[in-house]
Amino acid sequence: MAGLVPPGVAPVPAEASKTAPTKPEEKVDYKNLPCPVPFEEINREIFMSLKQETFEGLRFDFTKGLNQKFSLSHSVIMGPTEVPSQSAETIKIPTAHYEFGANYIDPNLMLIGRVLTDGRLTARVKWDLTENLTVKANAQLTNEPHMSHGIFNFDYKGKDFRSQFQMGNGALLGASYIQIELHLLVNSFPKRLFTTVLSSDNNNGNILDFFLSVTQHLSLGGEVFWAGQHRKSGLGYAARYETDKMVATGQVASTGMVLLGYVQKVSEKVSLATDFMYNYMSKDVTASVGYDYILRQCRLRGKIDSNGCTSAYLEERLNMGLNFILSAELDHKKKDYKFGFGLTVG
Amino acid sequence: MATQSRRGGSGQPDRRSGSKPESSILTKITSSSIVSRGKQAASDAAFVSKKLLRSTGKAAWIAGTTFLILVVPLIIEMDREQQFNELELQQASLLGAPPSTPSLK
Repeated sequence: MAGLVPPGVAPVPAEASKTAPTKPEEKVDYKNLPCPVPFEEINREIFMSLKQETFEGLRFDFTKGLNQKFSLSHSVIMGPTEVPSQSAETIKIPTAHYEFGANYIDPNLMLIGRVLTDGRLTARVKWDLTENLTVKANAQLTNEPHMSHGIFNFDYKGKDFRSQFQMGNGALLGASYIQIELHLLVNSFPKRLFTTVLSSDNNNGNILDFFLSVTQHLSLGGEVFWAGQHRKSGLGYAARYETDKMVATGQVASTGMVLLGYVQKVSEKVSLATDFMYNYMSKDVTASVGYDYILRQCRLRGKIDSNGCTSAYLEERLNMGLNFILSAELDHKKKDYKFGFGLTVG
Repeated sequence: MATQSRRGGSGQPDRRSGSKPESSILTKITSSSIVSRGKQAASDAAFVSKKLLRSTGKAAWIAGTTFLILVVPLIIEMDREQQFNELELQQASLLGAPPSTPSLK
């Protein structure tokens, strides 16, 4: 059905380009550079399909909106949780939690709070002070010592850049900056080629529309952090190249981590992703391949990585506001099999 | 190690047959080198084939479970989607009216 739309839309720019010379779109549009994605979200498409939140056991989430801005959420989590241990085998203990949450969501103020029955409390605030300046705060309180933390973020969004300053407890300081370096709107050669074709045959509008809509961005960014408590500091660089059909990212940090990722949007419903992670310090290498299908009634994500770990995550929409979740993870090497199911209401 | 002890066992009757002339033809056959070598080959083949079978079984198990996790849900969901599309198309053709896509989505 989506395929029906472009032919109707396409002829309009074709006629416009016939009358007006193609000059304005040919060159790089330096005046109208779009805002890049935030530095910490540079890998979001890749993580979306490759880092599914697989869980084990049962999960039930219920969200009830009291009015348009305020909502309460209740969730029940039951199942075994892994306990970190030195031995190779994973130790699991059965747990059950109830989580109560309150959300206030307004266009420029967002407050989210969560309380778990084991005494954990998390709070998140996102407040747009002006159109460009945003303050974010995250806090977590636990009854275990040294596990509570809080972080403040100040984000400044410019015309073609974003910068962030971060401070947290334990003398954590960080800053990051990302800017669009290259933004090409149209590849002018194929456009000229197809305008002549289009005047004779209107059905070729699809092709023209595709070439017209190609935008390319290259954004580059860097970050610095200093953790005073652990006496650690680091430096990182990242690059992201994006067109309408693909996203490629690369990230290097002085902690020894190299991360490369690539997502190809095969169609509107399907995207394929792959990533490669290498840690120079610990010398471990992981590569993974995954798919992400967004269908009308479900979303299915699957991935397999070089450690032999396979996982899949299925969200099926049973009804309006009622989702059924199935999650599976197989690790043949560790003999660790995780299966979970859940229900989301509201 | 098992083959070595067997070879040692076959060596003993050989010496005995040298001292006793009325040795039967059966011991002569069993003690001959070709039989012992055949035995060894057979046991080797059995060992290798067992190992091969076990490893292919393991590989098949891993491949099968991976397929079950990654591909089977995909096939089922694609099929459902296709059925849904067909149903919609049928309804649209029955009603005759142009399908109002935004409301359906």
